[in-house]
Amino acid sequence: METIPRFLTYQGIPIWRHAVAIQWALQILSAFAAVFLVSWFFINIENAIQERDIPFGFGFLDRAYQTPIGEHFIPYESSDTFRYALVVAISNTALVAVIGVALSTALGIIIGVARLSDNWLVSKLALAYIEFFRNVPLLVQLLFWFFIVLTLPPVREGYVIAGQLYINNAGISFTGPSPTGMSGALIWLAFAVAGVVIGVFVHNLLERREERTGQASYPFLAGCAAAIAVGAVAWLVVSAVMGDAPFALSTPEPQGRFGRISGGLTIDAGLLILLIGLVIYTSAFIAEIVRAGIQSVSRGQREAARSLGLSGIDTLRHVTFPQALRVIIPPLISQFLNLTKNSSLGGAVGYTDLTNVAITMTQTAPAISIFVMIMLAYLAMSLTWSLIGNLYNRHIRFVGS
Amino acid sequence: MAANPGMAQPPILPPRASMGALGWARANLFSTWHNGALTVVVGAALALALWFGLRWVFLDANWGTIAVIGGRFIIGGFNTDQACPGNNCFWRPQVSLLMITALLGMAWGIIGGSITARIAIVVAAAAALCAFLPYGFDRMGVDVRLLLLANLPALGAGWALARYTSLVSARRLIILAVAVFLATLVLLRGIPGVPGLQPVAVLYWGGLTLNLILAVAGITLSLPIGILLALGRRSQLPVVKLLCVAFIEVFRGVPLITLLFMSQHLVPLAFPETFPRNSLFSAGVVITLFSAAYMAENVRGGLQALNPGQAEAARALGLAGWQTTLFISLPQAIRNVIPAIVGQFIGLFKDTSLVYIIGMVDLVEVGRTFILGNPEYRISTKEVFIFIALVFWVFTYGMSYVSRRVEQYLGVGVR
Repeated sequence: METIPRFLTYQGIPIWRHAVAIQWALQILSAFAAVFLVSWFFINIENAIQERDIPFGFGFLDRAYQTPIGEHFIPYESSDTFRYALVVAISNTALVAVIGVALSTALGIIIGVARLSDNWLVSKLALAYIEFFRNVPLLVQLLFWFFIVLTLPPVREGYVIAGQLYINNAGISFTGPSPTGMSGALIWLAFAVAGVVIGVFVHNLLERREERTGQASYPFLAGCAAAIAVGAVAWLVVSAVMGDAPFALSTPEPQGRFGRISGGLTIDAGLLILLIGLVIYTSAFIAEIVRAGIQSVSRGQREAARSLGLSGIDTLRHVTFPQALRVIIPPLISQFLNLTKNSSLGGAVGYTDLTNVAITMTQTAPAISIFVMIMLAYLAMSLTWSLIGNLYNRHIRFVGS
Repeated sequence: MAANPGMAQPPILPPRASMGALGWARANLFSTWHNGALTVVVGAALALALWFGLRWVFLDANWGTIAVIGGRFIIGGFNTDQACPGNNCFWRPQVSLLMITALLGMAWGIIGGSITARIAIVVAAAAALCAFLPYGFDRMGVDVRLLLLANLPALGAGWALARYTSLVSARRLIILAVAVFLATLVLLRGIPGVPGLQPVAVLYWGGLTLNLILAVAGITLSLPIGILLALGRRSQLPVVKLLCVAFIEVFRGVPLITLLFMSQHLVPLAFPETFPRNSLFSAGVVITLFSAAYMAENVRGGLQALNPGQAEAARALGLAGWQTTLFISLPQAIRNVIPAIVGQFIGLFKDTSLVYIIGMVDLVEVGRTFILGNPEYRISTKEVFIFIALVFWVFTYGMSYVSRRVEQYLGVGVR
């Protein structure tokens, strides 16, 4: 021990036993290993790129993509650039994510509450739903729905219900509002959004009054009435100014020999299958989260609410659920993330989501660059969900904590 | 249940409010009028669904289609002409199954306990029952049937060996399990030049076997990697922490299917040519790393929930940092997050179905290609996918059942 040279000690302790020295050594070692590994990858990739003359770079973004995208909700032509095609693909994924999250949250809450029902039959049915759909791979479920839709008759021989609803292997078409002109529709939509905002404002105002004075103020009814009134007035004004109503009812019509449906609103088969699969799969997970959240609220809360005279549904709405939310939100957000990422299975059922488009793109553009782009896109979507979740979480946390 | 002198008598239970099936129904199905109405509506819908469902299952469904390609579901294209000229490779996965049942028998003999026994018996009995299937398994001959039946004696032999000799210990069982896994890989891969063991390209491995190989490798490797990542993320060393956070967030932020597809393009570029270049290897690596990133977050949750007093007490008793982590913090943290970890195992097993994207033919892809390739089988689509769903469900539900029993055994939430 005494023979250790002075320069190998620090503060009288041999450096290989000194905590600070060990920590520094570990850090330097791991940093070195990481740099080595990453540069090794990149040198290999660089060599491979040069050896096999693989193109790399982002110049392709301004080239025309020249490949159709099956389903798109913002206008797209084959002559558009790669850059714009990626935006279209991202919008497809975002659309599925938003609709899927909304529907699976609603269904998940219903099934989670059903799981806790006093009714034995309902509770066990919810349990069976959760245990089955949660434990079967999403891909299997998607393919099941895919082949079910595939066995539906083609457009010309499809099911027609009262001339309004068309069900066939291309999707579901139904009578619905369709914009008559771009500007009129957009102006009215802007007013409609403003109407909803005003409605929410009125609702909050009256609710606060109700809480303060105890007088029944019907906040929900008043809020809805305000929103509808703004929308109706805007409708009349826009119709008068533009000379045409912003939206008109449009009925689907089969066209041509092979039957293409024009008019009406159409949910294409790919989107429909992907949504059905994602919503059923994710709602089973959300139901478990909701159940655990509600069970985490102490029993006394519910008993107190019931003894104060609140009905079962009011107890759930005003007492149990708001408290359960604090437990529910973090895992719920991670389910939203999962749903967004799981939408990448769209390719298996014919939906042109981001991953599907990216895989097609690798045939005509440098694969590495495409991967960088879609990784960034998915990370951005994940971060958006996390941000929304964190903001909401801050909103509902205990005051003062 | 004998009364303890000197102790308070157990309280006398109140009389049952209601008796028998009628009382139970009144309490659970018809407690209020709207509950009763709900029961009637839901019950009627359920009865209707059951009526049509059972009629379909027993009268209309054509389950024979599944038996036609039973062997494909189990091992994919392994025994086809391209993969194995002569079609005499089907015994190899069966021998590996025999080793597994023997292993399960040993585990049953050593550990005892009802769960191990149940798993072992169910696996061996299911294999043996397959021997009596009327047809299927790609030209199922007497040899195939005998090998399937041999699972029962294999189970018994393993059990007896562990029970009545001292050859098998818990530690040896783990080593043996790893050896059986590697032996399975070698057996399936084949050895060039050895008669009867002609090499079969990894490309042709498929079916449930592929899902299970990927899942077993992924589960055993992702937990230790995940624990290391979790410790790294909680480390006070900024460089280590940064690296771990970056790894975890990148792998959690991108869909697995995208990572798998990337691996197909990037692995041949990023690794020199001396590395294994088959899709099984890259799929295994990607699935393991992906799962490890999620595992790290689960373990981190467990570590965070731990009372800091535990680690402080350990340090105060003179344990070194690594001893504290290894013997005090981790065991408690992992015990507390067993459900989340098993949930991730289940997720990993389900995710093995995504390897279709890199051209591997797993259980799901066998069904899909079969239906797409044979238009005359389109009518049996539902049967095929319900069968695949049930196979997955048996495994995933089994895993969550075992996890619940292990939790009970460890007394989570009690101590």
